[in-house]
Amino acid sequence: MFKKQLFSQARSFATEVAASSSTSTTPITSVNAAIILSRTPIVTPEIPEFEQKYYQYQEELERRLMWTFPRWYYFKKGTVAEREFSKAQIYPIPKHRGVWFPKGVPDIKHGRDRRFKETIILPKKHQEEEATHASQASGAGDAQVSELEDVARPIKLNQRTTEADAKNDQTSLERQLSRTLYLLVKQNNGSWKFPSFQLKDNSTALHEVAEQGLRSIGGVNINTWTVSSTPAGVVKYGAKGEVVGPTSEGSTTEFLLKSHIIAGKFELQKNDNVKEHKWVSRDEIKELVNDEYFEQVGHLLAKV
Amino acid sequence: MFLHQQIRKPLLATFQQIRSKRTTAISPEVQKLVTQLSVLSAGRKQPRLLKLCNEDYVKHQIITKAWSQLRNQKKKSDEALLNKQLESMSFACEELKKISPELYNLANKKEYGKRFPLEMRVPTEYPPRNIWYYDYVPPVAKGSKK
Repeated sequence: MFKKQLFSQARSFATEVAASSSTSTTPITSVNAAIILSRTPIVTPEIPEFEQKYYQYQEELERRLMWTFPRWYYFKKGTVAEREFSKAQIYPIPKHRGVWFPKGVPDIKHGRDRRFKETIILPKKHQEEEATHASQASGAGDAQVSELEDVARPIKLNQRTTEADAKNDQTSLERQLSRTLYLLVKQNNGSWKFPSFQLKDNSTALHEVAEQGLRSIGGVNINTWTVSSTPAGVVKYGAKGEVVGPTSEGSTTEFLLKSHIIAGKFELQKNDNVKEHKWVSRDEIKELVNDEYFEQVGHLLAKV
Repeated sequence: MFLHQQIRKPLLATFQQIRSKRTTAISPEVQKLVTQLSVLSAGRKQPRLLKLCNEDYVKHQIITKAWSQLRNQKKKSDEALLNKQLESMSFACEELKKISPELYNLANKKEYGKRFPLEMRVPTEYPPRNIWYYDYVPPVAKGSKK
């Protein structure tokens, strides 16, 4: 009974919505679906200088207040490991009668000066040393392939900056690995904005129009993931294509939908509307697009 | 005679150095337990108390205050940004409802089983060897939207 009531209520609501549709004045062709396509960061964000120094300060404090490392627990007495470990350590000078210590009398317990932090040096393995020598001796090419197969190879860290950064190639997806990059396209009138596509009818959802349009300008060989089918924002344009405020009645309405690019090559297709594209971060978008447009979309973009 | 003494002395010394087997007061099991407990107990492992001079203490206070202010600012700006995003979302939805209820209904259709894609990766401190996968080819499904 209750279910039935709910159902009838839902139906009445549906008819209400349908009724209002007939009264709406905006034609569907004046509605655009724009896509905010982002490449999520590949590496962790850069830490600002103050935060870096604060973290260092906290770490030093923590190390100063740490208990002495109980080496007798981890290295059994008389073993090779214990000997190598204790050989690698640098011990503080013990206090001695009749000796003047300019930095105060040492207070040594378990081989650690209790007034300072303890520094533990791990003994370097012979294998590791040999491996680094070997890698330095061998050149690039075939050696690199065999090197990757070697499980015991030393860890080599990749660069956080890439070739695209050095060249400042803004069409590359491999630039600014620590930032979120967004796809911007150049319009025929010379202004930059997010790719937007005109709706043809009511039957296709906004996000589908946007994704299809994206493939029409960038090729089908891309893997994207739509964040939500509901729009994240709206931009209204006046009769001359200028951006007007959200409350005023514009001649064109553009709905913004968010999406992530996950894989694939974005290749600009032969197109009448779009001749150029860029992958840029929020700060660069602020410089490229006009101020009115950025005011409407700026809050949708990630700061990192 | 001197020679005789010189020979005999070390002999005597070696004889004296022979010791009986060392007898410890505690058994190895107990010794093990003592070692384990010594890891947990402060004992002689504690560092000296950190005594800051007045100047250093003021410095520490300033650093802590600056940090907390920074965190506060960040939190506030993040909250404001989130609120703005939420407002813009709801405003856009209202607009869509006004313009075309059909599109609004399509947009609000529940997507069952929607997940983050497996291929998406979490940011790491250093990039992978292959930064981007370019050779993606979309799978040919029966209802493909091409």
